[in-house]
Amino acid sequence: MPARYCQDSPDAIASCVLEDMVLLYHRPSGQTHMAIAPVPEILATLDDGAALTAGELLGQLAQLYDLGEPEEALPLVEAHLAELAALGLVRIA
Amino acid sequence: MSARLLVRALRDPDEVAALDADGWNALIAMARAERLIGTLALRIGERPVPPAVGAILADARLDAAREARQALWEADRAAEALAGLDVPVVLLKGTAYAAAGLRAGQGRFIGDLDILVPRDAMDRVERALIGAGWEWVKDDPYDDAYYRRWMHELPPMIHAARDRMIDVHHTVLPLTARQTPDAAAMIAQAVPLTNELSMLSPEDRLCHAAAHLLADGDLAGGLRNLWDIYCLLDGVDGTALEARAAHHGLLSHVRQARRLAMALYGEGRDEGARLTLRDRIVKARLLARDGWGRERRGLLRFAFYLRSHWLRMPPAMLARHLFTKWRKGHRPV
Amino acid sequence: MNHALTLKIGPATFRIGSAWRQPVDALARLYADYPMPAGAIADFTVRLEPAGPFRRWFRPSIFITGDHGLADAAPMSLAHGLLAAEMGMNLQMALGWRRHLLLHASSVEKDGRALVMTGESGSGKSTLAAQLGERGWRLMGDEFALLDLETGAIFPFPRLVSLKNRAIGVLAAEAPAERMGPLLAGTAKGDIRHLIPRREAIGRMAEGAPPALLLFPRFGHEADVRPVGQGEVFMRLTQASTNYVALGEAGFAALSDFVRNVPARAIDFPSGDEAIALVERLWEELA
Repeated sequence: MPARYCQDSPDAIASCVLEDMVLLYHRPSGQTHMAIAPVPEILATLDDGAALTAGELLGQLAQLYDLGEPEEALPLVEAHLAELAALGLVRIA
Repeated sequence: MSARLLVRALRDPDEVAALDADGWNALIAMARAERLIGTLALRIGERPVPPAVGAILADARLDAAREARQALWEADRAAEALAGLDVPVVLLKGTAYAAAGLRAGQGRFIGDLDILVPRDAMDRVERALIGAGWEWVKDDPYDDAYYRRWMHELPPMIHAARDRMIDVHHTVLPLTARQTPDAAAMIAQAVPLTNELSMLSPEDRLCHAAAHLLADGDLAGGLRNLWDIYCLLDGVDGTALEARAAHHGLLSHVRQARRLAMALYGEGRDEGARLTLRDRIVKARLLARDGWGRERRGLLRFAFYLRSHWLRMPPAMLARHLFTKWRKGHRPV
Repeated sequence: MNHALTLKIGPATFRIGSAWRQPVDALARLYADYPMPAGAIADFTVRLEPAGPFRRWFRPSIFITGDHGLADAAPMSLAHGLLAAEMGMNLQMALGWRRHLLLHASSVEKDGRALVMTGESGSGKSTLAAQLGERGWRLMGDEFALLDLETGAIFPFPRLVSLKNRAIGVLAAEAPAERMGPLLAGTAKGDIRHLIPRREAIGRMAEGAPPALLLFPRFGHEADVRPVGQGEVFMRLTQASTNYVALGEAGFAALSDFVRNVPARAIDFPSGDEAIALVERLWEELA
């Protein structure tokens, strides 16, 4: 079974858009992260509290953005999710 | 001037109403030096204070809130890193108090994350933490060997990205100490906090705090540890505590910690009542702080430094350790 | 302690205790125009202690500490006692101040708006601010700029300007001798001389101003002006702040607002005069 990812908690992150990136302030850790696409988009997709696999997440993102070929995009999304989980910004459900 | 001023303010915060500017300056400097400023700020609460003091206490409350939040986050990260091991993880000291919402945690300075795990799981815990981004702080082989052979914990590790330390203990006193608390029993009796984390039982919390204050240190920062003990005593059954302390071989320490905590922080008690001569020496050491926040009585302090090593190590080993430390330019501070 | 002084700089009150008379006397002389509310409740205690048991008399050597201290701080010679006191106050601010976001930056004000300059030690930000302070701007501080967490205004911390090496001659040529402190030769950072800010800058030290321009100056290069992206500005300012992490979300909100609202440029300059012309021009264009 592929891992399902979800948000840490609904109000865990405060964000602020700059010219060239998005700042994410993670309240539980007090850490600030500087994120560029597609990280803010991944987090926004998890915003409604859903627990999604990397494949499901890619499916939702692909409706909004051009992410290229799915077989190339999927490993990238998986890598981003693993990194976000290590930082504590998303959790494995 | 002595830290009695600070002790009184913690015991009965109404007393701060009588302070003048000099008194406040001394109280604030002492409370900062003893890392009790957050505790003091929460004890004073909404009582009227001069505006300059109000601003300092507000800063201290914010610092304490951040401290607690970060400590809980570190505990969460450690729990996540160790989740797959099926090993009980017991939070110790400040993080445990904050996680459980205990009075001892209110405003408390926390610092490092301390956890207790079974001794036979140490290797797996170490590997899992390294896998999750923690790394060794010390690169000194003597210190490393010393820690592993004689101390009650892994050498301290720090998380590379978050810059926070973790101390992994497998018992609550060094293996060289005369007392040998039953760590396995402590883990067996631990109280669950979350799915992955637990904390010591109320009696074991006291045994650990007393051991930490009186058997494992030079009493530096002792007023805060004693405040922990005073708060932890609240609601603990005296008979159960004595039985548990006796089981761990810590009865005299727990009794002494209790006498000192009640003498210094207990309400409506005569401070001098029922203290032994040894208690009085320890008390003098705990109160040795002046109105500028300086530690006083240097000789007394050095004697306690020696004593704390004596308690933990057989004499030949002590000489070896002090010599090695000394040669490297380390001096007791 | 044997010798003591209470001193207010900007919003912060310091209680400074010293084992020796000299540092306190030097402070009292150079900070004569600042409020010295004897018997006030201080935000911070600074202590200048003997570095060892006999070091009060024998090769007197100062250990700088206080409410906040660094265990491994190098001891200083008593001849540099004034500098030790200054460092003691800076240390308290850097480690303990929580009422503003503290930026390691110089700042000056004109027409009710603030110019903030940040960069590494040796970038020229301090000298530039001191020079502007002699030429119609109000000096707000050469070391720390205080960003208000509620309003986003910059507040002054106008301590004595610490002039190093070459900058000493530059400012001695512009400022009257009675505003210059004694020469402290051979410190860890070379020669140091303090400059007392103008009386007006001290008198208005409680007065903030909204920031209108952020510069990253760099001395010793061909004149150049480059835009700096907001992401880079944010990152450099978090690195230039000693309390960004400690302030948590309030610091995040204040700093991200600052970055979004204040235009930023990196400027290179080969000499002080060219720097001043460049700053005045950018101020006209951008602020």
